Order: sequence, then structure tokens, then C-alpha cells
Amino acid sequence: MTSAFFVTWLAASLRLAGPVLLAALGETFAERSGVLNVGIEGTILLGALASFLTDYVTGMVWLSLLAAMLTGIVFNLLLAWMYVTVRASQVVVGLVFNVLAIGIAATVYRRALGESSGPQSVAMFAPLHIPWLSDLPLLGPVLFGQTSLLYLTLVLVGLAHFVLFRTSFGLALRAAGENPSAADAAGISVARMRYIGVLIGGATAGMAGAYLVLAQIGLFRESIVSGQGFIALGIVIFGRWNPWKAALAALVFGACDALQLSLQLGGGNVPPQLLASLPYIVTILAISGLFGGRAVQPAALMVPYAKE
Amino acid sequence: MKLIERRVSPADSPLAITTAMVVAALAAMLITSLLFTLYQANPLQAYFALFHEPFASWRGFGYTLVRTAPLTLIALGTIVSWRSGFGYLGFEGCFVIGAAATSWLALSTTFSFWTFLPLALLLSFAAGAAWAGVVALIRARFGGNEVLISLMMNYVAILIVQYLVSGPMRAPGGVPETALLPRATWLPFILPGTRAHAGILLALCAALLVWVLLRKTRIGYELIVSGLSPLAARFGGINVGAQLVFAAFCAGGLGAWAGTVEVLGEQHRLMDGISGGVGFTGIIVALLARLNPLAVIPAAVLYGGMTVGANAMQRRAGIPSSITFILQSLIVLMVLASDIFRRYRVKLT
Repeated sequence: MTSAFFVTWLAASLRLAGPVLLAALGETFAERSGVLNVGIEGTILLGALASFLTDYVTGMVWLSLLAAMLTGIVFNLLLAWMYVTVRASQVVVGLVFNVLAIGIAATVYRRALGESSGPQSVAMFAPLHIPWLSDLPLLGPVLFGQTSLLYLTLVLVGLAHFVLFRTSFGLALRAAGENPSAADAAGISVARMRYIGVLIGGATAGMAGAYLVLAQIGLFRESIVSGQGFIALGIVIFGRWNPWKAALAALVFGACDALQLSLQLGGGNVPPQLLASLPYIVTILAISGLFGGRAVQPAALMVPYAKE
Repeated sequence: MKLIERRVSPADSPLAITTAMVVAALAAMLITSLLFTLYQANPLQAYFALFHEPFASWRGFGYTLVRTAPLTLIALGTIVSWRSGFGYLGFEGCFVIGAAATSWLALSTTFSFWTFLPLALLLSFAAGAAWAGVVALIRARFGGNEVLISLMMNYVAILIVQYLVSGPMRAPGGVPETALLPRATWLPFILPGTRAHAGILLALCAALLVWVLLRKTRIGYELIVSGLSPLAARFGGINVGAQLVFAAFCAGGLGAWAGTVEVLGEQHRLMDGISGGVGFTGIIVALLARLNPLAVIPAAVLYGGMTVGANAMQRRAGIPSSITFILQSLIVLMVLASDIFRRYRVKLT
């Protein structure tokens, strides 16, 4: 294995880890507050669509990112209402929402671009070469030649960790997910914490969708997410509901994805479809409980809370 | 004076539940009507197109039955697994695995129909059961999250079938798909002048069997108790892990049968994208039927019919068929949300 291959592989790993990491960060907040958001897949799809359409019309990437974020928040407001206020089964609502999102995305995309037009590409984030550092041999271009979205994601990892574990808001949020009645007794509004958790999840899921469009593919298709939302849920588990560990877990996923892509391009004997299943299989193994013992999830995860 | 007051417990009379469901469905249709107006279509005409073709025309009704069969089987699988507390969501995967196993058997053997069919059903059921059983084993033995693992396995199954139809099972030609299955393996058509096939009969039998299993047998009783309270079940001497694996076998097998009837009854070959989201629509049907095996049949006819009507709507009113996904999921979301209204009563005096 040459060092050139290694450098390309590592750079691709980081790039591919970005979207799932972003989505996993917000989902960590949702799950820490007691909500498992299976609808994350649909939110990412709608975020991707919103960023694509905004970019298609205006050509401004940052505005598109913002549009995706707002879209994620708006749709997750609906989800939060179903999860927290209606107290419906979280898996059921999330699952049905994903079907709704597919319907919305397909309908809106066709409505906006017309039935017959081929895939349209849009402006993307350009790689940001950090002066001097990106000139370092080997690792320079890998670590310091990525898009600004990836740097933003890494900053958010630190921020998420700080907010969750070093602020009173983070404590209240975690209390809502661990022991809602005690949190309630201590004067914390469990419903409010869970709404906020799900909305943060919506913001980052929308951004993850924008990441796919603006920093990876540059166009929209209905299969653009293809399970990355579910993989993000797996990363939250494998990262033990901790932002830093989620970053490591996302990197493992990115490394697998990059490896299978470069093997596909390398033209070996293994069929590309079977290579493409590698990231999913690795995620299954990671959350199966076969390695690293049982994951201890927030105690009140998926348990709706009704005030006495 | 308050006009609306909170009930101590939600209203749960059949009338209250039915009213809430009907209102919810109407609300979903109202929201979808707003979308129709985006296409300068008259909502009434659009809904007429959506429901006329599948239920009021003979040919269309045949298509409705074609779509109903796999939906029913998947919904039944959902009921068995969810009732046992096993939140399985991997029916897209079971569907394609069952379809692939059936196609392989049909293409590699030359049995007569009545030898072939039981063998195909057996093989397909076994393949689906194994596919879902793995997830149950991981959950029961290592405590892995079955919701996520089953979702992830859908993608693996779809990629495996993509590989099969573009590699080992590919027929010569431009499109990645298998050759046409031999005519002797096709399910008989049951209504003259339509494409309705015997798959619907299998689905109806399965619904009856699942109802008997859950309501009339000891094992079904143990399964439901395990789902309601695993701890109580364990104290009562029920092996909850074994129940889980049994439920997963049934769920996977039923999901695989959905794939079998689709290839033997309608498509007559295996191709990429054969499931088209039916694995998730089937779960939605089960939810609409409130996990009742007999109520699944009308729910599946309704949703199967909507899928057929969507194409008619696209042809006649120019409304994209993807709108039915919106309508179908909105109905269930509204039904779920309608629970909140049953927590209140209107006080008029």
C-alpha cells in the first residue's frame, strides 16, 4: 500500500464521515433528552432538497446551508409534536415520516424542475486550503485541505460536548432522558427539553442533507440519503451518546465507505454491489452488541413522559 | 367556564375511535387537496380518479388485488413481530430475499406447478425466516437494537439482489434483470379479464392463520404476553428469547412470501428495485389496522387500491403519483395524532 493511496483514502474518509457525523451530533441531543428519532432519514432528505433548490435558484452555498437547517427545524417541529405532545410511538412516527418525506421530496423536485429534465448540478463548497498547514507533507492536504463544512462539523463536535456536559442546560436535557420524573420534580420542563433536543436534531440533520448536496455530490436525487440517517443512529449508539466518540465512530464509517469506493474504482474481483454493502455491515456489527459490551442507553429513551 | 375539558383517561369506545380515525383520514385528504390545487386540478376530480379506477372498474380492481396481496402479507408479518415486542422493520429486505429465492428456484428447476409451488413457498419462507432470524438472535443474545439493525439489513439485501441480477442471474440484454420465469411456475390468474392472481388467496389464508395463531393458540398467547410485558412473561415461565426468534421467523417468512407472490404472480422475473417501498407501506397498513390481522385485509385493499389509483390520477389529471406516498403516510400520522383529541371532551352545558 503506497503512501499516496493512504493519503487519498484518509482524505476521503474524512469527507464521507462529515454528513453522518453532523446528523449524529444533533441526534445525540435528541436521544439524551429521551427521543429516538427514526425520522432522521426523512429530515436529511428534505434538508438535501431544500439546499439543492436554494442553491439552484441563488447559487449561494451558505444560504443553501441555512435553508436546509431551517427546513430540518420546521419538519422536526412536527415530529417533536408527535413524539412529545401526542406521545405516539417514536419508531412508528419516525418510520411513517420517512415515507412522507420521500413523497414530499419526489413531488416537490418534479414540480420544481419539470418531469423530463436530467440531473442538474449546482455550486458546491470549494476545498479550503489553510495556509502553510496544508503544505505539510502527507497529512497536510488531508487534514487542512477539506471544505469549510467539515471544519464547521468538527467545531460543532466540541461545542456539542461542551453544551451537553459542561452547562446547566446540558444537565437538564440529560436529566429529561435519564429520569424524567426526577427532572420534573426539580423544576425542569421535560417536554421543553425534548422539543429542544429534537429541534437540534432537525437542524443538524438538515445540515447533513446540505452537506451531501453541497460538499459531496453537487446534485439531488431521491436516493441521495440511502440509509445514512439510519447509519447516523447507529453511530450515536456506537459512540455511546458522546459527541467525541461519535466523531470517532463516524470516522470508522467514513473509512469503510472510502475503502469500498476506492476498491470499486480499483477494479478488483469483488462485485461493486457487495463492496457497497460494507458500510452497512460494519454498522450492523458495531451496534450488534458483539463488541465492546452492551450499550447503556439513556434510561428513558423511547418512553413518552406524561406529567402527573 | 371551559368549553373543552380534559378526560381522566382517553375516550376508548369503538365510536370514539372510529370517529377520530374518520376525521383524521378526512383531514389528511383535505391537506392533500391543497397539493392538488398546485397542479390546477379539481380535488374532487382528482379523488374520483384516485378511487374510481381501483374500486369501480373491473380491470382496475384486478390490479388492486395484485397490489393487495404483498401488502397484506407484509402487514401480517409486522403484526406477528410487533405483537411479540420485536420491532422489526426489515420487510424490504425480506421481500427481495424471498423474491430472489423464488426466482432462483423457478429458473434452475423444471418441476410441474403443484410440485414447484410448495417447494417455492418453503424455500422462500426459510430464506426470509433466516434473514429476520439473524436480527432476533442478535437482539436476544447480545442486546443489539433490532429497529436499526433490521433497517440496515434492508440495504444489504437490496444490494445483494442488485448483485444477483447484474451478475450471476442476469439474462442477456441491456437491463439488469433475470430471464422470464418459466410459464409453468406462474401463479394462475383468478379473475377473467384482469391480472389478479392467486397470490391474494394465499394472503387471505395467511391472515386467517395469523388470527388463529394469535387468538386461539397457546404459543400466540405467550407471544402476546411477551410483547406486553417481558418481565411478567419470564416470571410466568415463558422463554421470551425463544418467542422473539419464533416471531421473527414468522415475520421474515411472511415478508418473503410477499416477494414470492410478486415475482410468480405479477413481475414473472427478478429485477432491481422490485420492492418499490412496499416493505414500508405494508408496515403502515398494519398500523392502520391497529395490528389486528383481520382488519389488515380492508386496510391493504384500501392502500393497494390507492397505489393503482395514483397511476390513473397521473394519467388523467397530471398529478405525480408520488403524491400518494404523502396521502398514505399523512392518513396514518393524522390517525396517530387524533389520539390526542380523545383525551378531551367538549362541554356544552
